[in-house]
Amino acid sequence: MTSTILQAINGVSLAALLFLLASGFTLSFGLMRVVNMAHGAYYLLGGYIGLSVARATGSFALALVAGGLAVVVLGYLVDRFLLRRTGENHLAQVLLTVGVAFVIGDVALRIWGGDYLKVPVPVALRGATELPGGLVYPTYRLVLIALGAAVGVLLWILYRKTQIGAVVRAGVDDREQVAATGINVDRLFVMVSALASFLAGMAGVAGGAFLTLYPGAEWEILVYALVVVIVGGLGSLGGAMIGALIVGLLDAYGRWLLPEFSYFVLFAPMAVLLLVRPRGIAGKEA
Amino acid sequence: MGRTRAVVLAVALAAALVLPFAAGPFWMGLATQMLIFGLLALSTDLLLGHAGLFSLCHASFFAVSAYTVAILQVRYGVPTALAAPAGLLLGTVLAAVFGLSVRTRGVYFILVTLALGYVIWGVAHRWSSFTGGDNGVTNVPFPGAGPLAIVSHTQYYYLVLAIVAICMLGYRVLVRSPFGLTLRGIKASESRMRSLGYRTGVHLYAAFVLSGALASFAGVLYVYYNRFVNPVSASFPISVEAVLMAIIGGSGTVIGPFLGSGIILGLRNWVSSFFELYAAVLGIVFIATVLWAPAGIMGIAGQLRARLGRTRTAPA
Amino acid sequence: MTLVLFRSLVSIAALAALGAAPLANAQTGPIRIGLLPPLTGPLASPGKDMQDGFTLFWEQAKYTAGGRKVEIVTGDTTCNPDQALTQARRVVLQEKVHFMVGPLCGHEGPAVAQVSKETGVPLVMDAAGADNVTKWDRTPTVVRTAVSSSQIGHPWGEYLYKELGLRNVTFIAQDYTFGHEITLGAVRTFTALGGKVAKIIWNPVGTKDYGATIAGIPPDTDGVSAQVVGVDRLRLYEAWFNFGMDKKHKIYGGYWMHQDVLPQMDDRALNMIGNSLQYAAGLDTPENKAFTEAFARKYKRLPSWFAESAYTAGLWSKTAIDSINGKVEDRAAFLKAMRTVQIKAPRGPLKLDAYDNPIQNVYISRIQKIKHPVMGEVMVNVPVKTYTEVSQFWTWTPEEFLKMGPYKR
Repeated sequence: MTSTILQAINGVSLAALLFLLASGFTLSFGLMRVVNMAHGAYYLLGGYIGLSVARATGSFALALVAGGLAVVVLGYLVDRFLLRRTGENHLAQVLLTVGVAFVIGDVALRIWGGDYLKVPVPVALRGATELPGGLVYPTYRLVLIALGAAVGVLLWILYRKTQIGAVVRAGVDDREQVAATGINVDRLFVMVSALASFLAGMAGVAGGAFLTLYPGAEWEILVYALVVVIVGGLGSLGGAMIGALIVGLLDAYGRWLLPEFSYFVLFAPMAVLLLVRPRGIAGKEA
Repeated sequence: MGRTRAVVLAVALAAALVLPFAAGPFWMGLATQMLIFGLLALSTDLLLGHAGLFSLCHASFFAVSAYTVAILQVRYGVPTALAAPAGLLLGTVLAAVFGLSVRTRGVYFILVTLALGYVIWGVAHRWSSFTGGDNGVTNVPFPGAGPLAIVSHTQYYYLVLAIVAICMLGYRVLVRSPFGLTLRGIKASESRMRSLGYRTGVHLYAAFVLSGALASFAGVLYVYYNRFVNPVSASFPISVEAVLMAIIGGSGTVIGPFLGSGIILGLRNWVSSFFELYAAVLGIVFIATVLWAPAGIMGIAGQLRARLGRTRTAPA
Repeated sequence: MTLVLFRSLVSIAALAALGAAPLANAQTGPIRIGLLPPLTGPLASPGKDMQDGFTLFWEQAKYTAGGRKVEIVTGDTTCNPDQALTQARRVVLQEKVHFMVGPLCGHEGPAVAQVSKETGVPLVMDAAGADNVTKWDRTPTVVRTAVSSSQIGHPWGEYLYKELGLRNVTFIAQDYTFGHEITLGAVRTFTALGGKVAKIIWNPVGTKDYGATIAGIPPDTDGVSAQVVGVDRLRLYEAWFNFGMDKKHKIYGGYWMHQDVLPQMDDRALNMIGNSLQYAAGLDTPENKAFTEAFARKYKRLPSWFAESAYTAGLWSKTAIDSINGKVEDRAAFLKAMRTVQIKAPRGPLKLDAYDNPIQNVYISRIQKIKHPVMGEVMVNVPVKTYTEVSQFWTWTPEEFLKMGPYKR
């Protein structure tokens, strides 16, 4: 019984991290029809920069912000000078962003090296917390769950309860109409894109504190984020939340109960889902 | 075929034939790899260049056939005459199953095939009791059927060269056939084709299975070259690079995928020996291709030819 | 007059140079060695140690052997047999090395041995432990100077039973060749004495999350034995304390806290059993003291077994090359020399058995804080028990052992 609960919390903590990454990705697609395969590289770079900041200043909070902001700048440059030229050609986008990811990954390798690096966790968050029922769980991961939930709530309020959110939702539904009403769609894109980048970079710092950062991490995490977005539905924030939970829990339980088939447990249902219901749980029509 | 084309082809063929003696075992090995991965790239291009479908799971067929041959020959002592066809068969069967993905289109097709590719990679990686996991299968022998046995890398190179040449010819016939025309029609506008009465789903499925079969064939050639197979051969980078090779070289052509294979493998194996940031170089090549040469090398060649043609026929 | 003299001097010099040129044939050109460590990937840290140890040796030897200059070409294997194979082929075919040293990861061993078999280029296996290579699937051109995986597992099983008094052990292990062999070797000797295996939990190399493993430890086990590699060593360490396991069970390192990962661990590691290994940085012999001091002075850290093994491989190959007067082109002579020279390595006396694997000491070490002349106060693996002259066959005869077949999951 304890193991079952422990695995559930493991799953939810991974879900929190994946949500941070996937939410930006899915909104980018929903609004701008952009498939950005460099999202994993954004995670990695944000993480590494946050790592350096944390090592230099000793502040984890500063690292989170620094990682996020660094990726905002990078993301803007990629959007403005590269992605904009691809329009809605998904094939071109995939190729271009894979190329960007290769460049980021290699540069990061030269700067931070090939070893596994851990973002230093603030002393207050180290060690374990005793939960009701005698369960002991790493404090940091509980905090991560809280962070994921907080971001989720904030995004939800922004998306559903504010005017900006309404405009974004309208844009996801029908971009031309929104532009026709005189709203500066370009500026909207830049804002949403910046938010997505910030979350990705921040996720890198948060993830780097317990999953560590290393060459190749950008692809591993991207794959998970893609599964989340596919299962939840491209363009849906709620879908990203549900998808993240499903993927996190499947991963945790799959690894525990069927370690020989842990990838199968994750990807086979996704493939089946896609074949049966391509737009995922809450996505728009393709 | 135009005269320049024939000359270029003859020169290329001559170069390919004397390569082992002119350039030594390293370059010959690299050339063998370029041919094999070029074939894999060609298989993805049947879907991409002609049917408009971007598949990210072709490494699965490649790997499944490679593993089948490896396991049969190494673990069960099955001779090449049975192992190679078995590999080809199993890879094609998998393609028939994965072919269900043609029920989706566009970005969803990309994502479905991505997921399917990962399933196979995951199985290869984690079902270690059968596949050997990361250890893979070592010491796969050279192919041999009775008196016709390959005993050296040089012999194998020529065998691969011959087989790939035949495949290229067959592929050319296929894409110029009515079937190929239909595919390109679907790529241009599926709704139009459907309104004309074509069963587009069936055509796409057939294309998928054929392309999977070709990828499986590449896998069989691969395992006898490398004589080792492990989950890396089923991994996402292999699938992505196959498509990238086709695009860089020139999607929709027969030579393009092989040119692209040459460029990418050349970059990796040669540039990496004197320049550390070669992955970044590769990334820049992808970006440049998308932005400035979306039709790949063949596209550039075509543009050059057109421009030269224009200057030759000077205005009156 | 001076012009004529000058011109003739130049001509003489030119002629002399031309005359000298034909003498610069293969026998006096540099000796090229292909080093194959994993510089990226889950075992990047051990890979760096391997590279550093090898470099230290050749710097001390002024990059000469047998009267010739020595050049080292490096290929990053990323701890994957596919990449290892590619890099091995590259250093042999393109870089034309005279012999290879490496690889590090157990499962890369057979892949690189395959290249050695294909090309005839000798391989000095200075780290990869795959049992197969020196037992069932030997290649005449491959010599192992490090250790065979199960060689360090066998004494560990005995130590668990006899010295630690454990009877119901949970093993945390890695799911690849090396992991299988080192763990199942310990399981064999442990159970032969009467011990019971509570559970073996297998994880792939590079497992991100040890939470699942921790949750799976049976509550009635009387001890946990950890056999983990690379970055997993750190992740298990953190997960162990983060999940409060240190309050419930005791954990012992069968293969865990090597010197290269100790700097990332804190004082909670003190007094824990770190390893059952053919080397410990805290080993008190003059050779080891000299080695660790030189390593610490150059790299500002203490060497792990990967560094020592690479250093010793350098020493071993130089001794062999010197004994054949630098003629590494004569591969048979080089291999024979490798098989017959005796050296005094930092880790102790070494000699090869009939199956091309060293017979050597195995040290069970405990983490202690010592005052090092160069590093100051630092945590180190200090041997607390030594098993001497351990062969890869333990107490069995080679024939008996070979009949039992390889350790498989």
